[in-house]
Amino acid sequence: MASSTTARIVRPVAVPVLGLIWLAVTTMPFLFMVMTTFKTQQESYSSSVWALPEALDFVNYRAVLAGPFLTYLKNSVMVVGISVTLIVLISAMAAFAFARMRFRLNDALFGLIVAGMIVPIHITLVPIYLMTRDMGLYDSPFALVGPYVATSLPISIFILTEFMRQIPKELEEAARLDGCGPFAIFFKVFFPLSGPGLSTVAIYNAIMLWNEFIFAYVLTSSTSTRTLPLAIWDYQGQYSSNIPAILAVVTLTSLPLIVAYAFGQEKIVKGMMAGSLKG
Amino acid sequence: MTSITLSGVNKSFGANFPVIRDVDLVIDDGEFCVFLGPSGCGKSTLLRMVAGLETAYTGEIRIGERAVDKVEPADRQVAMVFQNYALYPHMSVYDNMAFGLRQAKTPKDEIERRVKEAARILQIEPLLDRMPKALSGGQRQRVAIGRAIVRQPKVFLFDEPLSNLDAALRVHMRSEIATLHRNFPAASMIYVTHDQTEAMALADKIVLLHAGKDMLKHGSIAQVGRPLDLYHQPRNLFVAGFLGSPTMNFLEATFVGQEETGARVALKSGEDLTVPVDGSTLASGASVTLGVRPEHLAPVAAAATQTLTRQVRAVEHFGEYSFVYLDGGAAPLIAKVPGDGGLKAGDSASFAAPASCCHLFDGDGIALPRRDSL
Ligand SMILES: Nc1ncnc2c1ncn2[C@@H]1O[C@H](COP(=O)(O)OP(=O)(O)OP(=O)(O)O)[C@@H](O)[C@H]1O
Ligand SMILES: [Mg+2]
Repeated sequence: MASSTTARIVRPVAVPVLGLIWLAVTTMPFLFMVMTTFKTQQESYSSSVWALPEALDFVNYRAVLAGPFLTYLKNSVMVVGISVTLIVLISAMAAFAFARMRFRLNDALFGLIVAGMIVPIHITLVPIYLMTRDMGLYDSPFALVGPYVATSLPISIFILTEFMRQIPKELEEAARLDGCGPFAIFFKVFFPLSGPGLSTVAIYNAIMLWNEFIFAYVLTSSTSTRTLPLAIWDYQGQYSSNIPAILAVVTLTSLPLIVAYAFGQEKIVKGMMAGSLKG
Repeated sequence: MTSITLSGVNKSFGANFPVIRDVDLVIDDGEFCVFLGPSGCGKSTLLRMVAGLETAYTGEIRIGERAVDKVEPADRQVAMVFQNYALYPHMSVYDNMAFGLRQAKTPKDEIERRVKEAARILQIEPLLDRMPKALSGGQRQRVAIGRAIVRQPKVFLFDEPLSNLDAALRVHMRSEIATLHRNFPAASMIYVTHDQTEAMALADKIVLLHAGKDMLKHGSIAQVGRPLDLYHQPRNLFVAGFLGSPTMNFLEATFVGQEETGARVALKSGEDLTVPVDGSTLASGASVTLGVRPEHLAPVAAAATQTLTRQVRAVEHFGEYSFVYLDGGAAPLIAKVPGDGGLKAGDSASFAAPASCCHLFDGDGIALPRRDSL
């Protein structure tokens, strides 16, 4: 009896209700942010927090875009783009080797790389700063690419290795009979077949790196070399009390991610599930 | 030029785990050879060695005149059809078939000609633009075969290609594979299966493999020969028991003596039978095993010489034939009789065991040589 009551009444009601509550909790701050960007500085002080803006005024956005915002954006796109491309390529190749090639140190090396996931980024800051300075890369956006790729590889290799282990070995053998060497097997069979895994890795890392602050803060110093998370930081100094303007920066910064997630969400979920379901 | 020769081939996984032992085998030009055997006897392993997918064995494998031990799989002029088809999921049917040719830098119009031709033979022309996941099992099977055909190989290798299909489709595809063999008479084929019906239906030559103790003692190959040779003249108990359904009846017996017409044996249950084999190597009183297939036990009206009389325990009717389960005597027997057999449980019935259909195996399970003049 009890279980059928659960099944008939509690579950159909409770699940949507809890879902709605969760939706409200997560979208409230977001709504507040977007709404406030349309208020003037004056208005943001005088009106209630949840009051609608008096007019749909883009003045804050215009002010932000008139500044160096586009330079930050360009740097972010460049650094994240290059890093994610490298991460996907390198981790896919490494994963192929770990998942498919028999060599003596396979398991040991894989363990070592996966162990890299537990190294806290912060203890690497000073050595990386010193290395970057010695290499003459300090205060260049490209200084970020190395640390970004290095810190993202362990988890990416881990995800993709699991993914490639699921690909049937007969496909590899069929490709060998069709005349493929290791490179052709990788690029023509394993790489395309890992699509969902690759997009998971790409999107996951893109989000992490898009928001990355600490390396960017330590390894760059000028407006012309900094990425978006530092834009917020820099603007906060500049507009210290202009909350709507700061929120406009935040909104513009998160916009690309929101768009990317909206389009890629299905693939991310699929990629994250694939490892567990196909086994 | 498409013959395959294996000489002294041995393979083990790890130092102490022999899988293939002492295989000497010749598959002639254009021959359809079936590797048959129970699960785990190394059929796939042997096939994959010919394909070049398993290395680290001892002995030599030749395709045509050429020793291929150091030749890459792609350069052996073999094509393989896998049990799970192994179609590339991200390529259309056309691209699946064209892939190997593109890798070999075949001219584009030649690729197109060959793919179209294979598609015509296999009647999959309307499917060329589909992706593999949009195909049925039988269609995938055809594409897998098509991928093999376009390469114009010297040798086709099939690893249990029909085992993922349902029973009706299996029979159909079996006849298509036989047709394929007729369409490409020059190419040899090696076909792995554990299904004796498939083997009997398709093979020019059956290679029956065994595993475990038998393999360690006698090598991997239990017997090689034409299907009916294996059926009528099994070389040992394993072969006799493996082929035929239901399996051959085995009866313990003692050797009485060699006579003009063959070896005389006394069954544990008392009957005396004569088997047309040469038992002159046996000592009188040696224990032997008499084998007779269920379909060779013919119901007769009354006990006579060369008959067995038993109690009917149960009868299974299949319309065309019936299985009669017999008790009494030292061991249970099965007889396969035409129609409904006119017998029922509890009856006492006599069955003739024609001498020419009896087999005799010595204490080691090796068949005694037949005297076929008899
Ligand atoms: N890569 C491998 N490593 C270790 N042992 C293996 C390997 N491949 C096969 N074996 C073993 O070798 C033996 C023969 O395997 P094989 O796949 O050739 O058998 P098979 O006759 O094809 O059986 P089936 O009818 O089940 O396909 C089995 O005992 C199997 O466990
Ligand atoms: Mg097998």
